[in-house]
Amino acid sequence: MKRSGAKATIDLAGLYPGPARPIANPGLTRDQLLEIHRLLRLNRIVEDKLSALYRQGHITGGFFSSLGQEAISVGTAFALRPDDPLAPMIRNIGSVLARGVTPGDLFLQYLARRDGPTRGRDGTLHFGNVERFALIGPISHLGTLIPVMAGAALAARMRGEDRVALTYIGDGGTSTGDFHEGFNLAAVLRLPLILVVENNGYAYSTPLPRQVAIASFAEKGPAYGVAAESVDGTDVLAVYAATRRAADRGRRGEGPTLLECRAFRMKGHAEHDDMRYVPKDLIEAWKNRDPIDRFEAFLVAEGHLRRADLETAAATLSRGVDAAAETALAAPLPEPHEALGGVLCEPGFEKPWWPA
Amino acid sequence: MSAPKGARAGERGPDRADLLAMLYTMKLTRALEERIERRLYRQGKIVGGVYVGRGQEAISVGAGMHIRRTGDPARDDVVFPSHRDMAVFLMQGIEPRRVLAQYMGRRTGPTRGRDGNMHMGDMTHRVVSFISHLGDTIPVAAGCALTFRMHGTDQVCFAFFGDGTTSRGDWHSGVNLAAVQRLPVVFICNNNQYAYSTPLARQMAVARVADRAVGYGIPGESVDGNDVLAVHDAVGRAVARARAGVGPTLVEGVTFRMTGHSAHDDAGYVPDATLEEWRGRDPIARFAGQLETRGLVDRAGLVELDRRIEQEIDTAVGGAESDPWPAPEECLEGVYHGTGGDAWR
Repeated sequence: MKRSGAKATIDLAGLYPGPARPIANPGLTRDQLLEIHRLLRLNRIVEDKLSALYRQGHITGGFFSSLGQEAISVGTAFALRPDDPLAPMIRNIGSVLARGVTPGDLFLQYLARRDGPTRGRDGTLHFGNVERFALIGPISHLGTLIPVMAGAALAARMRGEDRVALTYIGDGGTSTGDFHEGFNLAAVLRLPLILVVENNGYAYSTPLPRQVAIASFAEKGPAYGVAAESVDGTDVLAVYAATRRAADRGRRGEGPTLLECRAFRMKGHAEHDDMRYVPKDLIEAWKNRDPIDRFEAFLVAEGHLRRADLETAAATLSRGVDAAAETALAAPLPEPHEALGGVLCEPGFEKPWWPA
Repeated sequence: MSAPKGARAGERGPDRADLLAMLYTMKLTRALEERIERRLYRQGKIVGGVYVGRGQEAISVGAGMHIRRTGDPARDDVVFPSHRDMAVFLMQGIEPRRVLAQYMGRRTGPTRGRDGNMHMGDMTHRVVSFISHLGDTIPVAAGCALTFRMHGTDQVCFAFFGDGTTSRGDWHSGVNLAAVQRLPVVFICNNNQYAYSTPLARQMAVARVADRAVGYGIPGESVDGNDVLAVHDAVGRAVARARAGVGPTLVEGVTFRMTGHSAHDDAGYVPDATLEEWRGRDPIARFAGQLETRGLVDRAGLVELDRRIEQEIDTAVGGAESDPWPAPEECLEGVYHGTGGDAWR
């Protein structure tokens, strides 16, 4: 008996967005809603600026955009307490902005300036700030942050603190061994870990049906014996509400949650990638699900803001971002001899390992 | 030895000859491992450690009956046994004497004295060497299965591992790849409830290893691993799916490790009552009882079988002990291609 050796065509039907459910307020005040809006808009404006700087040759290294996924970063980070350990991944500028990192610091980092978070040693979002923001820096190797954040959740419990730890992984990162080992450990020890799976449809050029044989990452929950939920990642309030539920479970000692947020990567893997491997109509279909457009329509419909207010707010944010970028461009690069600083533990480079 | 016949892939139950072959193989495995662990190891005749599958024989034998063995490399299935699957090596035709030569570090063992215990394979018998790092064989098995599909054959890979291995990253990556590519692999878990000294509840937050399957979008089936016929049934279904190109299956045999992690480990961390309980579920005594009830064997026949097996092992031990050690200069053989290790393809 011979099996067919023919290549199967990839069915991408599951990648198209279904009908959107209306956005609902889970009980946030107007001020909270406006802060979420500010963060979403700021996220986009900062990244638009980074994209422009990349094209002008100012960015050292790559730039990985979160266009279309902003509601995931902002909704999850906004649902946490400021002292909850949070580890962003490469597409979570919104998360670090929500923690209080300024656009100015982001530009210093992306432009590899001496006064940036890594003092010009690394680019992109590869930085943390445990002391001020309870932010643990991303690890470039996908999945490797998950055991680290399981450890952070374990540390919180051993110290008798009711913090929850949160980190992100993409759809592709779920296939790594570290994802499995870290999340399994969190499940066995019932650690207060929220693992956000940002399902944006593509791992670089690998579409979801070539990555997993399941329809939703929520199906992985029962395989680890943990709670799991799948939400619309273009609805910032749905993301917020689901993260709150997960955090409450974690604080009650009910263990980790796997939270899938479905959205779409509206740019290439990184700025250099024209993503010609993504069907045009797939991108078009997701353009109608822009998380910021959707949230603004909600704010206007609910009477929290007028259209004109949105434009004013965006213009104000843009001016601040432009000014921060100009400042960063004028800031000094590191001197060659500074490269040796901080390689070994020495005065001036000590870092606390646990947030206050 | 009379090796069991090739698989019937679950099309029908095992016939009389199959049943007797299964009993014989389980008993041979138990006796051979007993000799190695309880005698030769203690006599200092074994080089390195000893890891046995006492109490777990029904899983490798029940599954191993489905391995297709025709002698044609383009038709034969390929197996990836774990270190507790001695029966699989025997069923694939690696003789007890060669197994013993391996344990004793002799030149005639499959690794020619380079490695000990179950760290051996022989591609002429379609056995891929066990990789010491648990879980690392799983992506290799997926890759092997991918070659079958690329060649358009209906061959199947049998990958064996323990409960602890299922927490390893490589296991995850390999199973996921096989699931996505719908590769012809049967994943067989010897769930013996302890990973060295870590009990199952500290290994996973699900009740059954088979529960992990849903996370990969593949079927998972949990069976009584001390019931060789239940294992045979479940693996038969999984092999049929794999051969038909439907994809992989995770089959879990729930059993118990009736010894330490290895011969040096007294397993003092395992409660006596648990061991006692599982002693009453011994897979060999149970299967022998079933065959007796069905009139396929009688008391005298069983005694004679044990005697014959002891004799077979005596002969094999004698042979292996008289086998030569490797000469020092041989250690360079097979390090590079063309230096004597070319059987490895």
